[in-house]
Amino acid sequence: MFNAKFKATIVTVLLFIGLVGLCSVRAMGGPQSSAAQAEPAKETWQKEFDDVCSKTQDAMTFSQKELTDLIRRCDALQPQIEKLDESRKKVYMGRLRKCRGLYVYVLDAKRNEKK
Amino acid sequence: MSMFSMQKGTRKNERRLLLLVLAFGVLLLGNITSAQIYLPKSPPEPSEYGKVILDNYSTAGPGAVVFDHWLHRSKFTCRVCHVDVGFAMEAKATGISASTNRQGFHCGACHDGKKLFEGKPIFAACSDAANDQQCDRCHSLGKKGVRKYEYRKFTAKFPKGIYAVNWEAAEKSGVIKPVDFVEGLSVKKAPMQSREDFALKAGYSWVHPIDFSHEKHSIWNGCELCHPEIFPSAPKGTIHFSMFSNIEGRYCGACHGKVAFPLNNCRGCHGGAPLWAP
Repeated sequence: MFNAKFKATIVTVLLFIGLVGLCSVRAMGGPQSSAAQAEPAKETWQKEFDDVCSKTQDAMTFSQKELTDLIRRCDALQPQIEKLDESRKKVYMGRLRKCRGLYVYVLDAKRNEKK
Repeated sequence: MSMFSMQKGTRKNERRLLLLVLAFGVLLLGNITSAQIYLPKSPPEPSEYGKVILDNYSTAGPGAVVFDHWLHRSKFTCRVCHVDVGFAMEAKATGISASTNRQGFHCGACHDGKKLFEGKPIFAACSDAANDQQCDRCHSLGKKGVRKYEYRKFTAKFPKGIYAVNWEAAEKSGVIKPVDFVEGLSVKKAPMQSREDFALKAGYSWVHPIDFSHEKHSIWNGCELCHPEIFPSAPKGTIHFSMFSNIEGRYCGACHGKVAFPLNNCRGCHGGAPLWAP
């Protein structure tokens, strides 16, 4: 009898801790969609954009060849972004410009270093 | 020499002296004027610092929007708004409208009534269902008592510097935790490796060198907000980051003097320099 009660208490406590943990993780993060788990499927260009521009933090660690390749991928994205509706195009063209610009900047810096 | 010619000579000298004094006066005035132009202006009250009035389309309808940088920078990094959301750093360059907000861009990227911040839904910007009171939270120019947050009260517990909130100290001490991610817009990135800090030697012996911290700056800005648009690529030593260009809003002046601490706070950059230039 005691064992069953004890087990039930343990399970309740664990469930409570789990729930509190989940809530605090959500509260600590940035703005999240209320349907965060059901993220809509991303278009191909956006997947490529995310992949190319997710590496800006590491730009300094890339070789000249890798940077040149990232710049080429940015250039390939441009015509696809240009086809988007006006607002989306403006936001993503600006982001692409900044992302590509950084890779070109780092590439230039690396070339200047070698001179 | 006759008396007449002596008098004539004295008058000539007097005229020359007068001309010299006048020329000196003009030069002095010119110098004062140019010094006035090239001294950083005294910043406004801290509550007004970084205030942006958005009146592209809204003056005729619900009135102009008042955007306070101090409120949003306590919650978000500069990078997330100026790169991921796409707010331009120059006035009237973003093209914000009620329609773009409703489509989930600009203010609507976060203010969509669905996204949560600290567990609470963020009110929707320019929603069709909004009442006057809700519109006034942003469209508040010239309206009294409509804003939800007041600077003094909101920043009461934040560490202060010589001028206003010391945002760097606030972030370091954990009083604020600026978020660098907006779901649906931001790209997940690996944590940034800290970049090397460096000292920038000043061009003049009487100017204290600048202790530039890449680490402090990259927390707020990432890499792509500054490079290459504000600080372009150039071989070392070929760009001169003069105070003149900063005051004109270029280089450091793109943020300092507008939102980041004012250029009057000399010691903020030049270690050992006077704390404040009036």
